[in-house]
Amino acid sequence: MGRPTTVGSPGKRLLPAIVSISLFLSLLIPGAAPAADVTFSSKTYGLFYQRELPGGEKDRYAPLYEYLSADAANLGDMPIAFHFYGWGRVDLAEESGSGRTSGEIGSLYMEYLHPQGNAQAKLGRFFLTEGVAMDIIDGAFVKATTPVGLGVSLYGGVPVEYSILSGADRADSIYGGRVFFAKSGFAELGASYLKEDGSVERLDRELYGGDLWVRVASGVELTGQASYNRTVREMASERYAVRIVPGATVDISAGYEAYEYAGLFRSALHPAFVVATADNNDKVQSIFGIVDWEFTPGWTVEVVGKNIRHDKSDPGDANRGEIGVRRSYNDKKDVAGIVAAFVAADRGENEYREYRAFASYSPEKLRLTLDAIAQQYERAPLPGSGEKNAYQVVATAGYQLLAALNLSGNLTYTESPIFDKDYAGLVRLSYDLGTVTGGKK
Amino acid sequence: MMRRAYAANILGAVLLALLFGCSAVSKTPSVPPKHPEDLAAGRVNCLECHENVSTGALKPYGTFRHSRVFISSHGTYSRQGQSLCSSCHAPAFCQTCHAGKEELKPNVKMGDRPDRMAPHRGDYLVAHRIDGRLDPGSCFRCHGNKNDVKCKQCHK
Repeated sequence: MGRPTTVGSPGKRLLPAIVSISLFLSLLIPGAAPAADVTFSSKTYGLFYQRELPGGEKDRYAPLYEYLSADAANLGDMPIAFHFYGWGRVDLAEESGSGRTSGEIGSLYMEYLHPQGNAQAKLGRFFLTEGVAMDIIDGAFVKATTPVGLGVSLYGGVPVEYSILSGADRADSIYGGRVFFAKSGFAELGASYLKEDGSVERLDRELYGGDLWVRVASGVELTGQASYNRTVREMASERYAVRIVPGATVDISAGYEAYEYAGLFRSALHPAFVVATADNNDKVQSIFGIVDWEFTPGWTVEVVGKNIRHDKSDPGDANRGEIGVRRSYNDKKDVAGIVAAFVAADRGENEYREYRAFASYSPEKLRLTLDAIAQQYERAPLPGSGEKNAYQVVATAGYQLLAALNLSGNLTYTESPIFDKDYAGLVRLSYDLGTVTGGKK
Repeated sequence: MMRRAYAANILGAVLLALLFGCSAVSKTPSVPPKHPEDLAAGRVNCLECHENVSTGALKPYGTFRHSRVFISSHGTYSRQGQSLCSSCHAPAFCQTCHAGKEELKPNVKMGDRPDRMAPHRGDYLVAHRIDGRLDPGSCFRCHGNKNDVKCKQCHK
């Protein structure tokens, strides 16, 4: 395989048009800006760490990240909203990634929210989860429900995807929709379709899906979702669960999930999921159970169990278990917890135990947190290294400088089969502004 | 083949036009674009204020209590609609994890929020070799069609 190349998103061609259209539509709305409910968020992260190179030389890295998001609703007192989210990086020391700068526009779209029936339309770049779709697309989405509960959603555009695979190219188009029936408080059933056309056949994806939510009794609900990949004529994934919520303090769920590598990973652009790395004849079936119980106000116990079975002996089967207790205090602003987890597997190289403890303390404008995690591997996980344990401690301290401005810093210590007494620092400056009160966005 | 696709598109457009006609849209009030009240700190429990069924998701509010169960299965609910979610969460919230070209791990960005569920805590560079072998489907949801810079160092 040749040198990996980053294949840019086809959205790069479409994005300038979307920006222009979105801004143009905003300007068309008379007096839009003064009447809008605006929230704005800026988060700046400055990291510092060093890595030892073969020969003992050390490289120092200091990437600086800026994350911006802006949301404006009720533009011009109309049910129209504008959303933006994006980030950028510049390296102040050694190159930390692909090039000294990087960045991405995660979402940029106009949204129409009908006052009734949750009918909506989106235009631009957005993250879409609808039936079998869970993609970022440059395009359009519309959804509406009729008075009898029957509804439909449609979407189409260009998928925003990235690949480092040599020779892999992007998908050119994605479209699909979902037909559903919802009976308020009792059931929602959906059937969905997605078609993605790639410039190479391997990236073609045609999925049929079904989803289900039914409340069979007060506090008891069944959920299900399944997708079939018609391109390879295999089931892609299935998940069925029963959930019992007998009150406001107990939540129990158990279920079954399965996926076939060939069906699910068919159009993956990440090399870890394609043939030669993963055996595409394998199938995973799991049974899981989760309990969340606030046994006394402020104290919650969480228990999670999962049995994972592979059709193939490599990597073999495994059981994962986890138990944790959380305590919230200081008007729920602070939480402390301890967690213990294990993976018991057919093959020793897949077994490990994990222990974690964390706490926060937020008096007035100060905020202090401590998070420690230890992992013990049954066998040394890296060839050539006998080290079987890993530890990491993250300590943070923050101060609220202004009502909307917070400054905080992390110091992280790691000792593991990869890192030998590694220290990393992070400074975080966050600014959150909103013109209206209400739920924090 | 092309003719069938065009026919499907036209049918879809007609269906949509019908649905968007005022008389065809459900009269149930939509969820407001922003939750009108400040929310309490910590994991949200809608039942502290709400009863019955959400007009946005058409499901009981108890379904959306942010318990470990809900957090682990939030994808199931979001695939049936995000109106209720977006009343409190901006798109940036989802894309903290579900991003296209992210470079910073969620637990690094949220280092001061140890209470939040964030995969990749600890030196996950080691642990991901095991989790990825045993349950690659759980990785695929976020990493299948994105490649952050850290992946490139080994996955070539």
